[in-house]
Amino acid sequence: MELFTPDFGLIFWMFVSVAILLFILYKWGWPVILKSIENRADLIDKGVEYAQNAKEQLMHAQEQSDKYLAEARRQQAEMLREADKMKNQIIEDARSAAQKEAQKVMDAAKLAIEQERKEAQLQFRNEVSSFALDIAAKVVRDQLRDEEAQTKLVGTLLDEMEKQN
Amino acid sequence: MVSPVVMHASSSESHEEAGKIDPKEIIFEHLGDGYGWEVPFNHHVRIPLPVILIGKDGFHCFLSSRIDHGQEYNDGGAIFKIAGKDSKYKGKIVQVMEDGSEYKPWDISITKNVCALFIAILLLLWSVWDVARWYKRNGNKAPRKITGAIEALIAFIYDGVIKPTLGDRSRKFAPFLLTVFFLILYLNLLGLLVIFPGGANVTGNIAVTLVLSIFTFLATNLFGTKHYWKEIFWPDVPLWLKFPIPIMPLIELFGVFTKPAALTVRLFANMLGGHMIVIVLTLLIFIFAVMGPAVTGGASVVSVLFSVFMILIDVLVSFIQAYVFTMLSTLFISFGQERGHDEHHKADEPQSASTSPALTNK
Repeated sequence: MELFTPDFGLIFWMFVSVAILLFILYKWGWPVILKSIENRADLIDKGVEYAQNAKEQLMHAQEQSDKYLAEARRQQAEMLREADKMKNQIIEDARSAAQKEAQKVMDAAKLAIEQERKEAQLQFRNEVSSFALDIAAKVVRDQLRDEEAQTKLVGTLLDEMEKQN
Repeated sequence: MVSPVVMHASSSESHEEAGKIDPKEIIFEHLGDGYGWEVPFNHHVRIPLPVILIGKDGFHCFLSSRIDHGQEYNDGGAIFKIAGKDSKYKGKIVQVMEDGSEYKPWDISITKNVCALFIAILLLLWSVWDVARWYKRNGNKAPRKITGAIEALIAFIYDGVIKPTLGDRSRKFAPFLLTVFFLILYLNLLGLLVIFPGGANVTGNIAVTLVLSIFTFLATNLFGTKHYWKEIFWPDVPLWLKFPIPIMPLIELFGVFTKPAALTVRLFANMLGGHMIVIVLTLLIFIFAVMGPAVTGGASVVSVLFSVFMILIDVLVSFIQAYVFTMLSTLFISFGQERGHDEHHKADEPQSASTSPALTNK
């Protein structure tokens, strides 16, 4: 039963060849492969992590952008409101300025009119007084045609003057 | 596909015995080693292999074809032949001395098994070189086709067996364990092929499994930690169990040797059994041949179907046996790597969980 009694030649060759095989593979074989497999596993792990991070960041960015968008809308509304307010203000200002100007112009006009009126009054008065003098002169000339009347007048005038003094 | 070849080989063998079949002879001739390598469909021609002998008068080297069929060969004065059936060196090459007695020289011939071993080793070297070259050329890309298949097996053993058991010592022992796994796997699968370069029953030979488990034994004990040796010679048991009569140390020491012995026998027996069943199934045809054509025909159909079935099972067994041998070796090595009590407990629990199904299986 040679199957159960180990054969020397086979043991010898088995020992020698497996020892050589082990040496070769220990030095140049398996370490390279195992290192490469582990490197690749690390790379894949890193890739997955990176992808997850990127996905998270993307979601985050979406949120961020939504926030920014809302903010921008709010700001826009604010600005519109502000602008509206400013517009009204400007209109109001313009209106009041115009009013003031108009007032000024009207005041000036009033003053001018007053002056004009006074001047006209003065002129009128002068004219009226000259008319009156003319009329009075004419009347006096008519009344003082006789001597008597003249002396009487002079007499009254002198009385008056005396009274006054 | 496989069985007809087996069938033919055994049929031609049976003719030698003048019609009489000796199943035991045929089975052991097929399972055993040989100086030449059979070729299919021809029983008389064998592929010659070198015979290397260290006889009484020195070194002899010649081709096995010189001593085929009981021929005697004279190599520089020394006469060699394969010992006959009635000799105690049956089937081995002996030197015929001048007085007619037989002397068995130191025989380190490249026999069929040694040749098959070399083929498996070359195949393994090619596999490793192929995968390693892929990484050199393609960096971190995943390999495809055969390279990818080999890499998947490497990862299966490394990540599935070695890493969970050995932890941070994986890198140190992985080369040995992976080499053992692939060598056994290739030898097993080559053994299932019936024609050259397969057909040799290498892992079903006790010398081969013995050497493999000696390597595991050396890896376990040469790299054993202090704690490992303490566990053997001064285990944590009540004092009376280890002093004055060292009962437990003796048992532990015995265990050191039974572990590799178990490795040796279980791989050998499993592979031998697989081969034997296929041959026996094929032989049934010739045993039934004396009972007439109808019975022979029926037996042929049944035998062939069973043989094909068994060969397919053997493909599975080839893988399982390589896996189990590697797993047990990893386990034994990890026993030698035990470091203190805290780590011991952490490391031990997953191990025992993974071993128990395999141990109960076989």
